[in-house]
Amino acid sequence: MSVHASWYLVLAAVLFSIGAVGLLVRRNVLVMFMCIELMLNAANLTFVTFSRALNDIGGQVAVFFVLVVAAAEVVVGLGIIVAIYRRRVGATADDAHILKG
Amino acid sequence: MGSAHAFPFLTTLVLVPAGTALVLLLLPRQLTRLVRAVALAGSIGTLGIAVATLDQFRSGFAGYQMTSVHPFVAALGISWSLGIDGISLFLVLMTAVLFPLALLGAGEQTNTKAFVVWVSLLEAGCMGSFLSLDVLLFFLFFEATLVPVYFLIGGWGHERRGYAATKFFVYTFVASAVMLVGIVALVFLHQSQTGTLTFSVQALARTHLTGAESVALFLAFTAAFAVKAPVFPFHTWSPDAYAEAPAGGSILLAGIMAKLGTYGIIRFDLGLFPHGVVVLAPLLLTLGVAGIIYGGVVAAVQRDLKRLVAYSSLAHMGFIVLGAFALTGEALSGAVLQMVNHGLYTAALFLLVAMIYRRRGTFEIRRLGGLQRKAPVMAAAFMLVMLASIGVPGLNGFVGEFLILAGTFIGHRWWAVAAMVGVVLAAVYLLWAYQQVFHGRREGDERPEQPERPFKELTVREGLVLAPLLALIVFLGVYPKPVLNRITPTVDALIAHVAAGSHTDTAPLGRPVLSSAVVRTPGSAIGLATDVQGGARVAVTPAVLDTHASAPTPVSPAPAGKGIR
Amino acid sequence: MSPLAALLSPAHLLAANGLVLPHVNYTAIMPELILLGGMLLLLGISAVSPRHLPTQVYATATAGIGIASLIASLVLWHDVQKGGPFSAVARAVDIDGFATLVLVLCSCVVILGAFFAAGFLEREQVQGVEYYALALISASGAMLMGSANDLILVFLGLEILSIPLYVMAGLDQRRAASGEAAMKYFLLGAFSSAVFVYGIALTYGATGSTNLASIGSFLAQNVVVSNGVLLGGLALLLVGFGFKVAAVPFHMWTPDVYAGSPTPAVGFMAAVAKIGAFGALLRVLFSTFPTLRTSWQPILWALAILTLLLGALVAVVQRDVKRMLAYSSINHAGFILLGVQAGTSRGAEASLYYLFVYSVLVLGTFGVVAVVGGRGDEGHGIERYRGLAHRRPLLAGSMAVLLLAQAGAPFTTGFFSKLYVIEASIAAHSYALATVAMLSAAIATFFYLRLVFAMFGERAGRQASVAVPVAPAGAGAPGGAAGQFPPVGTLPAGPAVASAAGVLTLERAAGLVDPGRAEAAAVADDDAGPVVADADLQVSPWVWVGLALCVGTTVVLGIWPSPLVDFARHATLLF
Repeated sequence: MSVHASWYLVLAAVLFSIGAVGLLVRRNVLVMFMCIELMLNAANLTFVTFSRALNDIGGQVAVFFVLVVAAAEVVVGLGIIVAIYRRRVGATADDAHILKG
Repeated sequence: MGSAHAFPFLTTLVLVPAGTALVLLLLPRQLTRLVRAVALAGSIGTLGIAVATLDQFRSGFAGYQMTSVHPFVAALGISWSLGIDGISLFLVLMTAVLFPLALLGAGEQTNTKAFVVWVSLLEAGCMGSFLSLDVLLFFLFFEATLVPVYFLIGGWGHERRGYAATKFFVYTFVASAVMLVGIVALVFLHQSQTGTLTFSVQALARTHLTGAESVALFLAFTAAFAVKAPVFPFHTWSPDAYAEAPAGGSILLAGIMAKLGTYGIIRFDLGLFPHGVVVLAPLLLTLGVAGIIYGGVVAAVQRDLKRLVAYSSLAHMGFIVLGAFALTGEALSGAVLQMVNHGLYTAALFLLVAMIYRRRGTFEIRRLGGLQRKAPVMAAAFMLVMLASIGVPGLNGFVGEFLILAGTFIGHRWWAVAAMVGVVLAAVYLLWAYQQVFHGRREGDERPEQPERPFKELTVREGLVLAPLLALIVFLGVYPKPVLNRITPTVDALIAHVAAGSHTDTAPLGRPVLSSAVVRTPGSAIGLATDVQGGARVAVTPAVLDTHASAPTPVSPAPAGKGIR
Repeated sequence: MSPLAALLSPAHLLAANGLVLPHVNYTAIMPELILLGGMLLLLGISAVSPRHLPTQVYATATAGIGIASLIASLVLWHDVQKGGPFSAVARAVDIDGFATLVLVLCSCVVILGAFFAAGFLEREQVQGVEYYALALISASGAMLMGSANDLILVFLGLEILSIPLYVMAGLDQRRAASGEAAMKYFLLGAFSSAVFVYGIALTYGATGSTNLASIGSFLAQNVVVSNGVLLGGLALLLVGFGFKVAAVPFHMWTPDVYAGSPTPAVGFMAAVAKIGAFGALLRVLFSTFPTLRTSWQPILWALAILTLLLGALVAVVQRDVKRMLAYSSINHAGFILLGVQAGTSRGAEASLYYLFVYSVLVLGTFGVVAVVGGRGDEGHGIERYRGLAHRRPLLAGSMAVLLLAQAGAPFTTGFFSKLYVIEASIAAHSYALATVAMLSAAIATFFYLRLVFAMFGERAGRQASVAVPVAPAGAGAPGGAAGQFPPVGTLPAGPAVASAAGVLTLERAAGLVDPGRAEAAAVADDDAGPVVADADLQVSPWVWVGLALCVGTTVVLGIWPSPLVDFARHATLLF
């Protein structure tokens, strides 16, 4: 039994949307961070699905690049978050209020 | 006129002031005397070149002369293209005359170096604007004049100078922004028709425009010129700017900068969009008349001498607009001449106002008064300039105004009649101002703590600044013929061009036009009457090298009392 | 290559397993390699040096590295002009006139950025190599974006560009605002990258490739009947780019990040991010999706209008100079979008030209802002600029030139950059867009002028009219007052002010006080406006060099713009 490729695409789109909405509505920086990871991985899932459907290895290779970049983003992002919240209690985006926007 | 090997008069007219500014920048600012002397030398040198240009100018020739064309930004189709004709010749001369006087009469007392640098740059910008035959080069210079004026008002102005300077800059910049879009659109249309990318006025005048395009582009161009001139109701920046500017600044603003607007109207609106001009001339005529009357009425209620002069200048600019859009040879010649006249007497008025301010520290008319007893020479000078401004025969204001009104009367009778009201108003408020300032009693005289203060007569130096202006005012009033002789061929060719372009959307230039009335006797204001009555004559245009001139001057006698309609 | 190295190289090992690695043409990526290699060298030196090296050493080295990569870029330019464009590294990198111009631009930004950073870090006594290393990485990312011929490489370039910028935004650990700026930039930046990757994935699904040229030829040869996925992918790509170039409505991060980040980093960030993102955007839209022009042009039209107007209008109400410049940079992004929207090679030229001009201007402007900000990088209110022309005439003069150029004053590069994009836009029949753009430029002049007037207009406040009639009596006499009429009357003036003016006059006459300073003091007396102590306005020679380069370029190329215009033209001839 095989699942049609479009289901994977729909799943990826749903994951991506969850990530995007989560990033916009959640205030906890770590959760926001996880939402970004969710979005990236939704993109990865799309890549793999298309790669399979098109019978082309390129999409799967792209996933590696995305993973590496995601890892790099995590390193830097967590570094920034830690640097900010070293002197604070919680990690909430609303605490960052010195700047207007 | 291949002036490739001749001395590049026009290029030096632009580069000498610019170079002076560069030299001035390198001088230490403590050496005020030297700085001032160098600036003066630069502007007098420019005047010398301008006089030489006048000498080289071939009278009775309609086209551009002494042209010099060099590639500037070839990739964008911009060229360093300068030329002079009857329309720009005397504006260039007036510019060259007014700048040294403005430098001498400015009397700014702080930061002389910066002041004279800006003035020199402004002179380069004005010269470049009047001489450019490349629309974009013109626009560059036209815009470049904003920056020095902004700094002159902002740095050396009166009380509300920040407001005035910013208002001036933003107003003019908005309008110019629209014009830039218009320029590029015109160039693009030309490019799509001919395949060449060029900003040359001569080439662009050959663009075939549909009626709507011509009107739209006319509006885009006129936006900038109307603000600069200023044409009512785009004038609101100007009384602020004129009043807040330092003495030197007001002279240059009202005397020269305003002419950039009307010069642009004549050179570019009439030259490039004949159809749009003819369609919208009634609107612009109405605005011109509105400006004359509005300026007059507002001037009449001013209690501040400098503002009064500013509004009177606004009213007089209305006459020039009227002359430009009446579309007859007389009116247009009158407008060109009046630009020069207005420059001279407005500059003189602002100079005199500044001299009074320097003595009394106020522009308020009610706090002046009775100055005639203490300074009769100054009063006489003021009287002369004021009479020129009112338009008393024998002085220069009369010649221009009369030509404009007579020319307007041919085709647009009621506008001319309405404009007459402005002449009367000018007489009313200027005479009132003169009477108050020089003969009236000063309010506050009775206060004991303000004893009768001394009021110094004109110094020799001030007299020397005023003398050339007064001489020119009288000379142009008595004997305008040599000037008109040089102006009219170009003006006639331009009127013919407008007539040719207005009839069909795609009329190629040079098509003889039979129905237009281009009627004039070169150089004679008095000869007008016979002309108007149908004694039309052929204005002989010599061999030509540019588009304006390449339109054969219409030769047919026209029904009297009818302009190009 | 020695046999041993060949044996150990991964290529050899992988080839043995049947995988063929592409041939890497190192000259094609030489500028990037120089930047990255230089960065590693700097990090290595700083790691092994026993004590902290002064920041000037690193700045010199960074400028040197920038010059080396500039030379390498110019060599590539020469090759391209002679031999035509070529693809390298398995067609992932495309070296053409366009790419080499981006390389040249990035190298210039690195050099200028190093000068301004040196002055800043020196004053703030920040030691260490981090800033320079991050700048070098970031610039190499922008270079990659400009020359990338594959969406994956565009994405990699985007991340290489962005991640160091997040860190640079947060580099100033003493100020909490800096950390916040970094976090905001990071969260929104990462969000936009995720959107961008998803866009790539969808495009890949619709066309079967991530290679820009392959996608282009695929779209040219096939009519995609149901192109929802493709259009979705394109839209997401545009969103991703929109975030990077700060196009409205994806601009929210810009004011906060610009206000919070260390000032010289802002200039660098604004320049390098726009170069990279616009470089890639132009290539993606022009060489890959020209067939979808009717789809993306309206989107860009709307983006451009919003960006132009919002940037100009919101900037008018800002009191903080850095926020104001942030909105002005949004306005500039709108202008560059004008060239992109035109969709013609003329538009590409115009955009590239604008990018060059903008980069120089924004670096210089923020260089001055960094100086005026004073120690601690906190003083960015407009009141800091009051009377600057009299305390630091050269600094104020440079700033005025840069601001007026940003406003589009004639005889500066700023004018021609605006003319160029307007021309491209009108040639593409976008009359309304061109008009809106010029109107927004006119609105923008308002806030540039406010800053200029603060520097130049506040001569001596309202006292000027009072002090002036008195001053020449004392000060003018020694000099002879060549061109001045002797003042006759004095104005009614409060005795206090009059005496103050008198004292100042005496001091001035005696040569005790330099006039500008005296006047500044007069302002301070009356307005009680904060006047920055002169000691706090030390301008490092590094900044002078950078400013001289920026202002010189702006003026010289503004009076004689042909070389740069020709450069931009040649860059896109081979596009």
